[in-house]
Amino acid sequence: MSVGHVARLLEEAGIATVIVAVEAFRLRLESMSVPRLLVTPHPMGRPLGPPGDHARHREVLRAALGLLGREERSETAAYRLLPMIPNAFPAYTFRNTASGRSSP
Amino acid sequence: MTTDNSESEGFEAFKNSFSYGSRTDLNFKFLKHLPAEEAARFFQDLLWKLGETLDDADATRLIDHVREWQGRGYGHFSGFTYDDGPFTPLSKPLSESCLTLLTSTGHFVAGHDPEPFGVKEMTQEEAIARIGDFLKAAPDLSPIPFDTPPDQLRVRHGGYDIRGVQADPAVALPLAPLRELQQDGTIGSLTDAAYSFVGATAQTRLLTQSGPAWVEILRQQDVDAALLVPV
Repeated sequence: MSVGHVARLLEEAGIATVIVAVEAFRLRLESMSVPRLLVTPHPMGRPLGPPGDHARHREVLRAALGLLGREERSETAAYRLLPMIPNAFPAYTFRNTASGRSSP
Repeated sequence: MTTDNSESEGFEAFKNSFSYGSRTDLNFKFLKHLPAEEAARFFQDLLWKLGETLDDADATRLIDHVREWQGRGYGHFSGFTYDDGPFTPLSKPLSESCLTLLTSTGHFVAGHDPEPFGVKEMTQEEAIARIGDFLKAAPDLSPIPFDTPPDQLRVRHGGYDIRGVQADPAVALPLAPLRELQQDGTIGSLTDAAYSFVGATAQTRLLTQSGPAWVEILRQQDVDAALLVPV
């Protein structure tokens, strides 16, 4: 809720905002009528993606910043990125010597 | 962390103990807000998927399971509701705009600890234990220069599991990625500093005192847009 309040205050002051949040926060942020919200398919505390996955972080940021270009509010403010491809969580993947994957 | 091994402990007490109880685990504090039968299903499905993972070592299904149930757990919350809200269109292209970053992650720069409640070097464990105090207090805003080296970042927040941001701050405080986007021209400019506060805070004070003061700080820097990241 805190960031929802900040978003509303900034928008009232003429500063455009976009929020990047995980699914767990979607309902409460939508209920606060925040103007731009990107919902990401990641666990709480890691809204931009897994630690070390810099490509994913950039992808999320580009998607969020893309929402800033919207010129008017639409009925649906929540956007979802497609889930990451399987086994694309390098920081969370268990060691698997057979496939050569390993945790960092 | 201690565990309650009392033989008389029921399932209700067990699932609730993950939320600031004897088994505090901030990734799973949502269990307290689920009816017992739903919480039981969470555990049953988790163990089933763990069994599958024994055979293929693909932990993705476990992550998806946790993420899905975190969503369900927080879906039970009711909070502030507004039928409409302010909307400011960006007045010029992002490539010509000044952007700032503001997160509720509880980051600060080494040597600039906001020292909540006057406590020096408060630990994460102390912050968790004092979550009730945080929820009654006004938040402190910590400026974090965009060029702050990762080893100079500190984080403390009694409301979420900070291990992800400790492993890589960019998962919620993307300083370096935003610098890259500014350098490649996607973003016109960044403020000198990003900002962070502990999102577990007194909402009314945030709305009426802290928030308006923060807005003024950003207006004085001619900020056009803000990327906001709750955790």
